[in-house]
Amino acid sequence: MFNGGTETQYEVLWPRSQRQTRFKSLAPRLETLEGKTVAQLWDYMFRGDEVFALLEEGLKARFPGVRFVSWREFGSTHGANEREFVAALPQRLMGLGVDAAISGMGC
Amino acid sequence: MLRASAACEAGGIPSSSLVCEGFIRQAATTSVGLGMPNLPVARVPGHVGVQSNEELGRNILEVTVERVIANLTCEPAQAGEPLEPRPREVVFKGDFDAVNRCFYENEWSDGLPIVPPTREKVEAFFAFTDRGPDEVLGVLLPDNRAATVWSIAVNGVMAGCRPEYMPILVALIEAMADPRYGVEHSGNTPGGETLIILNGPIVKQLGFNYTQGALRDGFLPNTSVGRFWRLYLRNVAGFLPHKNDKATFGNTWRVVLAENEEALAKISWEPNSVEMGFNAGDNTVTIARYTGSSALSSVSGSTPEQVLPILADGVLKQTLWTIVFTVGLTMGTLRPLLVLSPILAETIARRGWSKADVKRYLFEHCRIPAWEFERQLRDWSQKPIWNLAEEARLGHIPKVFHESDDPNRMVPIVFKPADFMIAVTGDVLRHNAHVFAHNGALGYPVGKRIRLPEGWERRLAELGK
Repeated sequence: MFNGGTETQYEVLWPRSQRQTRFKSLAPRLETLEGKTVAQLWDYMFRGDEVFALLEEGLKARFPGVRFVSWREFGSTHGANEREFVAALPQRLMGLGVDAAISGMGC
Repeated sequence: MLRASAACEAGGIPSSSLVCEGFIRQAATTSVGLGMPNLPVARVPGHVGVQSNEELGRNILEVTVERVIANLTCEPAQAGEPLEPRPREVVFKGDFDAVNRCFYENEWSDGLPIVPPTREKVEAFFAFTDRGPDEVLGVLLPDNRAATVWSIAVNGVMAGCRPEYMPILVALIEAMADPRYGVEHSGNTPGGETLIILNGPIVKQLGFNYTQGALRDGFLPNTSVGRFWRLYLRNVAGFLPHKNDKATFGNTWRVVLAENEEALAKISWEPNSVEMGFNAGDNTVTIARYTGSSALSSVSGSTPEQVLPILADGVLKQTLWTIVFTVGLTMGTLRPLLVLSPILAETIARRGWSKADVKRYLFEHCRIPAWEFERQLRDWSQKPIWNLAEEARLGHIPKVFHESDDPNRMVPIVFKPADFMIAVTGDVLRHNAHVFAHNGALGYPVGKRIRLPEGWERRLAELGK
């Protein structure tokens, strides 16, 4: 604090703190979904079961050889055990031979 | 949902996140905190919760499918790291009005004037903690920032706290960083707000209000510490309205609720701190997040048998949709809070009822028909995959939820009696109560001991306390 004129002047500090993560690269994208296996990850909210059924329909119409691992295989991605679920997810997906994932519902 | 996507990407698996139209901006800011600002999202037009089957089908097939394909097969644009100040950096110089304008424009304040956080003011807080300024108490999502002791002091100054509140502020952020609490959920749409319960001799030492108007602003410690909580959520965790904070309505921060331990001792009921696993007489904070609350006015009667039905009815009616945290969205994480005025607690206790007895009563009487419970889970929440019989058969929920197939059987709203929480405070001679609807795992109760610095009494004495 200093008095640089008629009113008291303040030198104020940043109220935030440093982020603990640097920007990371995304995974390489696929050339096509044909013949690929896609995981359905759901937080068990907002009609995701219906949305994933519709997406299956739409994606199969474009890529007849695409396969899906249902959300039923994984259980909810959200809630009390979320941290453990997320930490174990990459290994689990690799074990299932998954090539890509669709995650919902952000609503 | 985005955290799962980020984990996939980090594991080398491309992802596409399904995001309703109104949540695109939240997804963008959350992605920055996850270190993947270009995390690809596929827009779902409007909100699925108000769409007919035909509308939903059209939106997904005509809009979302194309975005999912693009997200999984096209390289997204790279994003550069934003430049930010360094901790302890002076970010602005100016008079009171200019400082406040700067903080408001940078979204560092809640809209009320802040106390300018100068180095001198901030350093004064370190006279009341033995913790080092660079000590990190945890990393807070969604912004993924370090919860440093320094940043606690800065936000404490801004909130109008006095330096001697510092031990409480540190304990609060230890609680915020505790994974059991689930701070990352603080921007969800029901817009719940944290309630801080304070226990121990520190209540009186620092002059917290613990009698009439216990939840009213107007008492410097209760008010400024409550404000500090929300400022820290904003500035360090990163919950800003229209960005990571998606409260549909929301409400302002709550002042600290200090328990009346004199009243509790008089009736031999343990304070909240003991419920949370500490010793009576410990200085503690307990945090939990509540979606709403309601006063129960004039709970009349001279016996437990007369007043408890009124209280049970109030707890039940306040709980509403949050039973999805008992069975469904999470299992057994609902912890409703009943706050009793001292005279009301005395009315119950003088007939020999303990806190545990009251909780048992609530467990047995706060019940709803099974069909009503399942209607909330399945029909009203549009989540067709749950039923009590199946969950009980799988051992996911206690058997009390499925003792028969009768849809009219009465089932509890929590897993066990101890899930109810009870606090005593407020107007000593008024027979009112207050019920809080809990937000389950999205703000689970967490308690922390307040660690006082060496020579605490002496340091307070130097302040004239």
